[in-house]
Amino acid sequence: MARARGTDGSLLASLPWTLLALAFALLPHVTYLPVWITAALLACAVWRYSIEVRRKPVPPTLLRAGLALSAFLGVLFTYNTVSGVGPGSALLAIMAALKLLETRQRRDQFVLLFIAIFLVMSSLLREQYLWSLPYLVAAVVLIMTAWLRTSADDAEPVRRSVATSSRLVMYAAPLALAMWIFFPRIATPFWAVPIDTGTAITGLSDTISPGDISALSKSDAVAFRVTFDDKVPEPKDRYWRGLVLHRFDGRAWSGLSEPMVSSGALRSIKTSGEPVHYEVTMEATRQHWVFALDIPFHWDLESTFLGPQHQLARVQPIDQRIAYEAVSYPDYRIETDIDPRRLQWNLELPEGRNPRTAQLAREMRAAAASDRDFIRSVLSKFNQEEYHYTLEPPPLGSNPVDRFLFETRRGFCEHYASAFAVMMRAAGIPARIVLGYQGGELNPMADYMIVRQADAHAWTEVWLPGAGWRRVDPTAAVAPERVDAGRTGAMFDGSGAAWGLGTPSMLLHNIVLAWDAANAKWNEWILGYGPENQERFMNWLGMDDPDWRQMLLTLVALVTGITMLISFLLILRYRPPPKDRAAILYGEFVRKSGLQPQTGESPRVFAVRVQRDGALPAAVVQSITDTYLDVRYGPPDPALLQRLESNVAAL
Amino acid sequence: MSWIRWLYPSRLLPGITRAASRRVGRWARKRQGDDGPVTKLQPRRIYILPTGVGIVFALMTLAMLLGSMNYNNNLSFVLTFMLIGVGFVAMHQCQRNLVGLEVSFAGIEPVFAGQSAQFRIAVANRSKSPRHRIRLYIGDVQSDVQDLEPGESKIFVLPVRTERRGWVTLERFGIRTLFPFELFRSWAWLHMYPKGIVYPHPAEHAPPPPATQTALGHRQHDARGEEDFAGLRRFHSGDSPRNVAWKAYARSEQLLTKQFSGADMSSQWFDFDAVVSSDLEERLSVLTRWIVDADRTLEDYGLRLPGRSFPPAHGDAHRRRCLEALALFGLEQADG
Repeated sequence: MARARGTDGSLLASLPWTLLALAFALLPHVTYLPVWITAALLACAVWRYSIEVRRKPVPPTLLRAGLALSAFLGVLFTYNTVSGVGPGSALLAIMAALKLLETRQRRDQFVLLFIAIFLVMSSLLREQYLWSLPYLVAAVVLIMTAWLRTSADDAEPVRRSVATSSRLVMYAAPLALAMWIFFPRIATPFWAVPIDTGTAITGLSDTISPGDISALSKSDAVAFRVTFDDKVPEPKDRYWRGLVLHRFDGRAWSGLSEPMVSSGALRSIKTSGEPVHYEVTMEATRQHWVFALDIPFHWDLESTFLGPQHQLARVQPIDQRIAYEAVSYPDYRIETDIDPRRLQWNLELPEGRNPRTAQLAREMRAAAASDRDFIRSVLSKFNQEEYHYTLEPPPLGSNPVDRFLFETRRGFCEHYASAFAVMMRAAGIPARIVLGYQGGELNPMADYMIVRQADAHAWTEVWLPGAGWRRVDPTAAVAPERVDAGRTGAMFDGSGAAWGLGTPSMLLHNIVLAWDAANAKWNEWILGYGPENQERFMNWLGMDDPDWRQMLLTLVALVTGITMLISFLLILRYRPPPKDRAAILYGEFVRKSGLQPQTGESPRVFAVRVQRDGALPAAVVQSITDTYLDVRYGPPDPALLQRLESNVAAL
Repeated sequence: MSWIRWLYPSRLLPGITRAASRRVGRWARKRQGDDGPVTKLQPRRIYILPTGVGIVFALMTLAMLLGSMNYNNNLSFVLTFMLIGVGFVAMHQCQRNLVGLEVSFAGIEPVFAGQSAQFRIAVANRSKSPRHRIRLYIGDVQSDVQDLEPGESKIFVLPVRTERRGWVTLERFGIRTLFPFELFRSWAWLHMYPKGIVYPHPAEHAPPPPATQTALGHRQHDARGEEDFAGLRRFHSGDSPRNVAWKAYARSEQLLTKQFSGADMSSQWFDFDAVVSSDLEERLSVLTRWIVDADRTLEDYGLRLPGRSFPPAHGDAHRRRCLEALALFGLEQADG
């Protein structure tokens, strides 16, 4: 290579800061990135820094090109794609590592800092917690400090660079706030948002097999939050309907893989009683299902429809937190007059699986007077015989329902729902499983309900002639407190240990609730500051029916105003220092002398001239000059200033 | 390799930017007039433009804004707006970094034609806060970058190539800063036209000076004997330290130079008419060479020009007077 690759240690003062900024920007990515990428960046950082310390040449172009190619292939191999937040941030990290190896000039570090900014941005696309805001502010300060160091004097103390960049970021904060509030938000994205499949999201899946929900019940992650307009439904009515499963393969239940629109679904609902009005803020699930209180009747979410089994779904998957208002009727009947032949698929059972259960069901049905009688006897079997509700059920074999019903007798909601539905079908009663959430905790701190992943629940619906689909929750027969108390499932495990009610854990629980309330407000007002919230805020500010032009105008006016303020602050900052008392007094003496000191004329020489002039008493002139010089150049002494003051006053 | 350098338009289009800069500079001079010996930079004469890095920064924030809008991601809106805000603040900070600075001419040492004249410009910071990363420039020539603490004044050196003897004038020069983030470049043009003197270029192949006519009337023997001590005289700068009477200095704290009877006390006259050449510049060049050499060997010398003459002497002041006379010979002597 013709170009020199040597380094001369000129980056020693700035490079550590650039590396620090990069590391800080990479921090939120570390848990998501493959380990080799973090390791590669770290290795390149150490390598490059030691090159600078030892003033060695940077690695040759061919080596760097080879590294670049293999790193790119590595990313491609790891992710199978290069789009999306995951591979995107991996590529950014790789770019930073490689750019680092060819950085020789101070200015090259700008590229590294640009990459750091993009890394911070991509981490925000991935997750936006409450602490993300302080994190991003700290990241901006750090990056701008590193930016400053790239051109600063080597001798400049670090404290000073940090102070300068913090000051400038502080000036920028009100500008950013004004722009953030008034920049018009739009509802629809310009282009499709790529879905990052790399990150796991806890939540219900499309199928259910034994153990799925009990795994969820350990997660206190929030599924959604609900604010009720007026009355809060009773705990026994807090069934949040999600998806409906009707296919059973002997072990797992599954439903429609894609949501379907059913034009007749809404018409088949007969409601009675008082409706419940509420607003749901739902976390991203990457699935189509929209949760609503059983049974939803109105909702204001776009392109969201009721499916043939009365499950609410949106055409696009929920890949961002969404908010919607809905109206539900806890008291309802559905499909009361459907042709029973259309229910055939809710009776199917796989041949030869779980034979003992089927046998039992047929015997019990024969012994019962009616379908309702049969249902009651199955529920009382669960209730009165030795069945346990536990988070950690023993493993089940190839005939899981048989094994559960007759041997282990320990299970979670999905076990009971599955066993119940199989028994119903075996006895000729159409049955299906509904997945959703049951319960929810009211947060007294902010008057809303938190529904967590731990509240995930499976229950059944059976169809009875004349009554239509009726909800039957077999879990309630085993552990009625699971449903009645409205407490989270995680509170009940096999050992029966509930939450301690002692002060420390109550305090802890209150802290958790307060934190959740802060998060809810954060989600609603900061993360959820979209077109609606913005319009609401503009209305509150007194802007009726604001359009984007008005908002942009306000933005420009505000930014101009704040900029003028900043400019004023800067003028203050660079104003000349105030004259000290001694200089003012000496100035007065000069004025009284009637003469003008010449450029370069020292006070002593000037004094001689004043004495020669004769207008002022020579002794006083001498005294003033001596005292002034003592005050100026001697150790601080208030008595001297006093003397100067009285001498000048005496003239 | 370092493709970032291409982000700087001054490198990308040097010719265009230089021509444009000249044109705007002329306009600025018409607008603000010539400057006095001490010029305080007022806000209205400070110009500002984004740098290449600044343009990339702006494009990056634009891309981030579009991304934030697309994802409807309010935190990345926060990040984007903070960076836009930092850009705004940087613009004002960059301009304020220059406002109120006092620029004055701090002298220049004479040089020989062909050397570069080192114009010294003092910049004083009379404010409460430090000024960072200040640099002076003339055309593509730049001074060092320096920071100025509150109340501090520093000298910036601007080298100007000289070709001919006479006066060298510092044309329009600028003071600029990229502080804080090199996103903006703010600058001011100054039209002080400080002058420096340029001596003729000492001829490389000069004939030896003509035979010496001694002022003392007799020619001492050529041998440079320094054996016979003849007395002490007052020290002139340029005297060899070997000849300084250090013992006498220790006693009286007065620098005296030992004189030897064997020393060459001759003094020469360098006469303009004695130089055999038809070219004026060549003549002056030869005279310059003689003076420089004579000064180096501590000889007394005199200079005779048409209409002016400098009686034999030596020392820095004498040398300067002679060389100045040569430098300005035949030129309009504006300042004498």
